[in-house]
Amino acid sequence: MTWTVYLPLLLPALVALAARRLAERARPRAAVLGLVTASVLTAATSVWSLLLLVLTLFDDLPAMEALNSRSGMHLPEPVPDWVATTASVVLAACLINLARDVHLRRSTVRRLRDAGPDADGVVVADWAEPLAVAVPGRPGQVLLTTGMLKVLDADERRAVLAHERAHLTHRHHVAVLLAGGAAAVNPLLRPARDAVTYLVERWADEEAATSLGNRDLVARAVARAALATKQPAPALGVHGGVIVRRVKALHRPAPTTARWQLALPAAAVIACLALEANATLDFVAVLRAWLIG
Amino acid sequence: MSDEEAGPRRARGALESEVMAALWAAGEPLTPAGVQSALSAGLAYNTVQTILIRLLEKDLVRRGPAGRGSRGHAYWPAQDAATLTAARMRAALDERPDRQAVLQQFAAGLEADDVETLRSLLAERDA
Repeated sequence: MTWTVYLPLLLPALVALAARRLAERARPRAAVLGLVTASVLTAATSVWSLLLLVLTLFDDLPAMEALNSRSGMHLPEPVPDWVATTASVVLAACLINLARDVHLRRSTVRRLRDAGPDADGVVVADWAEPLAVAVPGRPGQVLLTTGMLKVLDADERRAVLAHERAHLTHRHHVAVLLAGGAAAVNPLLRPARDAVTYLVERWADEEAATSLGNRDLVARAVARAALATKQPAPALGVHGGVIVRRVKALHRPAPTTARWQLALPAAAVIACLALEANATLDFVAVLRAWLIG
Repeated sequence: MSDEEAGPRRARGALESEVMAALWAAGEPLTPAGVQSALSAGLAYNTVQTILIRLLEKDLVRRGPAGRGSRGHAYWPAQDAATLTAARMRAALDERPDRQAVLQQFAAGLEADDVETLRSLLAERDA
């Protein structure tokens, strides 16, 4: 086994590097699709790399002991046992993180679903805190508080509804779930996950602006709702700075391109897949040499 | 994106929720005419009335005599359903503080600097 098995664990850093730029400059839709694809594929190669390293422990299996005692037996480029053992611990941690992240996201949605009777898929909660969330499902629902409805005028309320419906129409929860899962597997992908979280809001803003034909209106609704929110920014999620960035982005013309900015994540994916293929061939070679002798 | 959502015209399917939102925002019973003027874009009086009846059938609004000499009904949102919804929403979000972070939220809280920045951004546009 050579360095090609280790490098895919680090290459997701390139996806993270591209994420910030994509978040500010690129068309949200293209950026989300690109970042989610790159995150998932590079996270998958991370898991595969770890799995290959763990599998090199095969010669320590009791059933294989007999083969080990063959004279002249010699593993080509073996992985030290301590590396393989570490990899197994890391792999277990990755999978536990992944399960936790997916569970939290899904159980939150499950608890909010069917929260009350709906009008056109909109459920109103009588709560002074201005909140508006999209709750995916079949059909999805928009959950709005009376606090939110009271701080906005009629046009702004339409902007919020259009924004939340855009989340549901484009199944943004899937993008966020995948990016979150990838970041749970490989922490180097966390900036990419945060960028995706931000970009789906931008995407929904842009779509609301298009459907209402008014960018300033959406900007005003976002700003007004944020100013009325009494709770501080949630510890793990969006910070206030995000709101300012969204409002500023709506005051600029809609971004139209994403192509060249997606080159870096694409390169990271291609490199990961190529290295992983190489590492897998190496592993197969080791396995054959060991089994056949 | 479907055709009806593409243009600046409102989506036909979203009327019920807009009427609901208007009733909640008003904070007092509204007559169909009152709802009509509380909505931004012009809707036919009959359309508003049809939607109100539909919401009444869904038990989302209540109605009573309009009073003050005017004939017809005034409508207000059914508080009990919304209170129950709020209780469920709070229970879901309070149980684990990290739940709110995994939701797609329209707006989030602000830090002190952001409040000023946002206010000036709004003022700039309104001027």
